[in-house]
Amino acid sequence: MNNNIWLLTFADSISIATTLILASLGALLTERSGVINLGVEGVLLMGVASTFLVSDGTGNPWLALVIGTCVGALLAMVHAVLCVVLRANQIVSGLALVIFCTGLANFLAKPIEGKPKRVQLNAIDFGPLSDIPIIGPLIFGHDLITYVTWLIVISASAYMFRTRPGLTLRAVGDDPATVDSQGLPVAAIRFGYTMAGGALMGLAGGWFMLARSAAWQQQATTNGIGWIALALVVFAAWRPLRLVFGAVLFGFTLQLPFTLQAEQIKVIPAAILPMIPYLVTLAALIAMSTPRARAVLGAPKALGQPFVRDER
Amino acid sequence: MGIPIKFEQRIDSPRWLILAVPVASLIAALLVGSIFLLATGHPPLDTFNSLLRGSFTTHRGFTNTLGLATILICTGLAAGFAFQMNLYNIGGEGQLYLGMIGGAWAGIALGDHFPGYLAVLLTLLFGALAGGLWVTVPAITKARFGTSEIVSTLLLNYVALNLVNYFIFGSKGFFRDPSTAFPQGRKVPDSVRLDAFGKTQTYPTIFLSVLLAVFLFWLIKKSEFGYRIKVLADSPKAAGYAGINAPRLTLSVLVISGALAGLGGAMLVVGPTGKLDPGVAGIGLGYAGIVVAALARYNFVAIILASVLFAGLRVGGDSLQISTDVPIHIAVIIQGAVLIFALGGEVFRKYRIRIVRPGSAVGVAV
Repeated sequence: MNNNIWLLTFADSISIATTLILASLGALLTERSGVINLGVEGVLLMGVASTFLVSDGTGNPWLALVIGTCVGALLAMVHAVLCVVLRANQIVSGLALVIFCTGLANFLAKPIEGKPKRVQLNAIDFGPLSDIPIIGPLIFGHDLITYVTWLIVISASAYMFRTRPGLTLRAVGDDPATVDSQGLPVAAIRFGYTMAGGALMGLAGGWFMLARSAAWQQQATTNGIGWIALALVVFAAWRPLRLVFGAVLFGFTLQLPFTLQAEQIKVIPAAILPMIPYLVTLAALIAMSTPRARAVLGAPKALGQPFVRDER
Repeated sequence: MGIPIKFEQRIDSPRWLILAVPVASLIAALLVGSIFLLATGHPPLDTFNSLLRGSFTTHRGFTNTLGLATILICTGLAAGFAFQMNLYNIGGEGQLYLGMIGGAWAGIALGDHFPGYLAVLLTLLFGALAGGLWVTVPAITKARFGTSEIVSTLLLNYVALNLVNYFIFGSKGFFRDPSTAFPQGRKVPDSVRLDAFGKTQTYPTIFLSVLLAVFLFWLIKKSEFGYRIKVLADSPKAAGYAGINAPRLTLSVLVISGALAGLGGAMLVVGPTGKLDPGVAGIGLGYAGIVVAALARYNFVAIILASVLFAGLRVGGDSLQISTDVPIHIAVIIQGAVLIFALGGEVFRKYRIRIVRPGSAVGVAV
């Protein structure tokens, strides 16, 4: 068996994990504040579409990424208005967002269907560092945003567990009444984190377009990555650093079918090959909900519940 | 400080709001659609006019709409039934595919051995069975461990989609038509297929869909089974004291929900498609079913109306794509926007909203 192909597969898994880390970190921040946003897949898709459109129009990948991120934040704002301000059902609102975004992305991106992308993000040139065996391709073979993502996730972890605002974030998801009694605005905090989460999801889509995707293929472009990202939050027990581990693992399941197919390795029947990422995610989700796993997990206690001061 | 709005819970909502909220949502959604149409250089009024002609105001359009609504009612009922117990079955899409697989299997394998109507019945039954079976893993894990059925049912949609693609594009097996070069499904015998009304796309299965909606309405409102579902949904604690077996009820509700979506898939086999057709995946009937159910606020009879409306949007969108250069996705944008506005509008039904003037205790009612 060719060692090189497996090294490439692992390198690709680490690369594709960038989208998963960003999208699920977005979902994680939102959920930590007590709001569940099931719209990830839709926001991701809109991130992809808007980034493609802007990069196609201007040829500037960075501007495109910024726009993609802003679009993500704006779409999440719709969810925040519905769920935080108007106290709508968060599950249904998230699903409505997925449907709306899917329609909008397909509608807006219609003119670029089948067009090759104009720009793409290239790996940073680390010179001799990239030539180190194994570590070179795994660590020093990525583009700028991948490294920024690593930085974001480490900072997010430090922020959540080492700073005062981070403590407030966790408290607002666990026990909003206490936060409220301290005179902090629960609704505004949740609104803010829902939007910040959306921005990360938009960025996730933008990066995916510029770095991994070849062309716009309607909803098949993201192909359920957003839903995998949602399951990943549970898998990571709502902790950013565990997210990285999970993202690489799920990234591997996304990459594995391609490698097995390219190498004509037939350990797994061809019928099951493309189902692997979803089946593994499902298995992980079930494993994480067994009573033993539940004891060490810790979903935010007020997740999905609107905060209503009057009714206390 | 804070937001100067006060929500006061309504004890019962005025009747006119029950109708006003959906209607206003539809109008607002059409306005959103207009913005995107204008932005991309399409005239909104002309577009909506041809959308209507393709879906409601012509005989051909309206019968096409009813044909699609037949299936949409099934997936809507599937989502609506699970929601009666606060369960979210987002897997209607995959369960519909499985219903097509189960139905096509029964039609091809058993169709010739049974007389006409029995064969149709068997096809529908096997479709429902396959849909119900497809949801068993999420159902059991939800009942046993409380695994989020939202994500688990959804992930299986992608598995089901790949399964259909494998049967048609990836293998030359049972479901593939051996006589054509282009991969497509093997047709079920003619005896398994129902005749449409005249030259329309409406099939007699529409009566079954409507009957099911009425039956479920009765089941939830009047039967003992429905009562148990309601008790468990309202108060799991009370259900425990009443001796209701919560895991078992969860399991049966989810399986019935899956079977309803599966039945929709089988209705496609005995009606318009006559085979396992991967093209159905592009319509997103399962996902639209969730929107329909949510818009109907999980009232089974209202689901019929919402299904006709949404089927019309879809069918109209299809005809737009043919007669103009407006992408069909405008219909999906409007579907999503209707639900978003309806959710927002819900707040007016549930609460009386007052703007609180700073410094005064007396609010101004809106």
